[in-house]
Amino acid sequence: MLASDARAGPADGRAPSAATAVYLYGVVRAGSLDVISSDAVFDGRVALVEEKELVAITSRLPSDDVRVRRRDLRRHLDVLEEAFSRTTVLPCRFGTALPSTEDVRAFLTDRAGELATGLERLEGCVQLNLTVSYDEEELMREIVARDPEIASLREATRESGDAADAGHLRLGQLVAAAVDADRERDATAIAEELTSLEIDVAEGNAGAGAAFKGALLVRARELSRVESQLEALAQREHPRLRFELLGPLPPTAFAAAAVEA
Amino acid sequence: MAIATRGTASNYLQRAPSPSGLAEVLDVILDKGIVIDAYVRVSVIGIEVLTIDARIVIASVDTYLRFAEAVNRLDLTQTEVAGLEELRSGGSKDKTEGAIEGAKEKLTPGDGDGSKKERSKS
Repeated sequence: MLASDARAGPADGRAPSAATAVYLYGVVRAGSLDVISSDAVFDGRVALVEEKELVAITSRLPSDDVRVRRRDLRRHLDVLEEAFSRTTVLPCRFGTALPSTEDVRAFLTDRAGELATGLERLEGCVQLNLTVSYDEEELMREIVARDPEIASLREATRESGDAADAGHLRLGQLVAAAVDADRERDATAIAEELTSLEIDVAEGNAGAGAAFKGALLVRARELSRVESQLEALAQREHPRLRFELLGPLPPTAFAAAAVEA
Repeated sequence: MAIATRGTASNYLQRAPSPSGLAEVLDVILDKGIVIDAYVRVSVIGIEVLTIDARIVIASVDTYLRFAEAVNRLDLTQTEVAGLEELRSGGSKDKTEGAIEGAKEKLTPGDGDGSKKERSKS
């Protein structure tokens, strides 16, 4: 059967098969959506597949070995956002595809219980993505002010014109270490603050620039309370830290946990 | 978006309803969502590089030198912090595009198909 070929996928290094596949965006309750008009990932139309009181949001893939383009990432999110603007949605991981519509139906049937539980848990909830980053100049100023070694190295290296000498490198290393230490401390403090606000947090990888990066799960009716509390927090930490809030978004970071028993 | 009901004067908290840049989109969708066993794995050539921990980048000679430069160009006689007006008008954005932001830029691939343009979805 074709399906088993498709399942093998391209990962084992064989030539791509000609099999098509069905891309999966997420799951909603039956009757909650009529149509999705956003563009589909890898072109085509978004189709709804209903089974067991559940609806899978899908579209057809031309093959099971498609190469992701930048706009496909955006489209995946567009489809989820459109669904989310009308109903509760359980997002699937980007890049999820099944060999056929029958497999989609089987998935909805096999995991009907978990999916219904997941939808119930996420009902009325929105995700906010919070990034807290540094005002770099402010942070540098602070680091120089409190660390005498950095301050004197700074004075010494300012005189020398060679930007790549050992002094500069040592200075940079010390500053980088100080930034790391600050980031760790700030990340912990922010996470504690959010816990005290009774917000469900999925912490992300803050990466190089940020003190904190995480997704917050908030009841839609508590959105304004949370926003004003975050506003107060941002005001308190100004100007050292800058708070950026993205959303309301579909609860992508909480979907996997929501379907778990 | 139906749920987005706000009109509060937000001074310190920067808001956006939906991701505009590639990095933000990736943050929202990559490795997030329910996982299905035995699914067809769509090739994600070109995406892996984006998931590299940016911390790796920070521990490089390049970064050290950028930090050194950032510290060196500080004017410590200037005790006044940038005014709120400047921060609001995006003045702080340019200022912070130094060592910290520099590390992040390296992770953005340039396969540019134009999806970087701003969206105004609401």
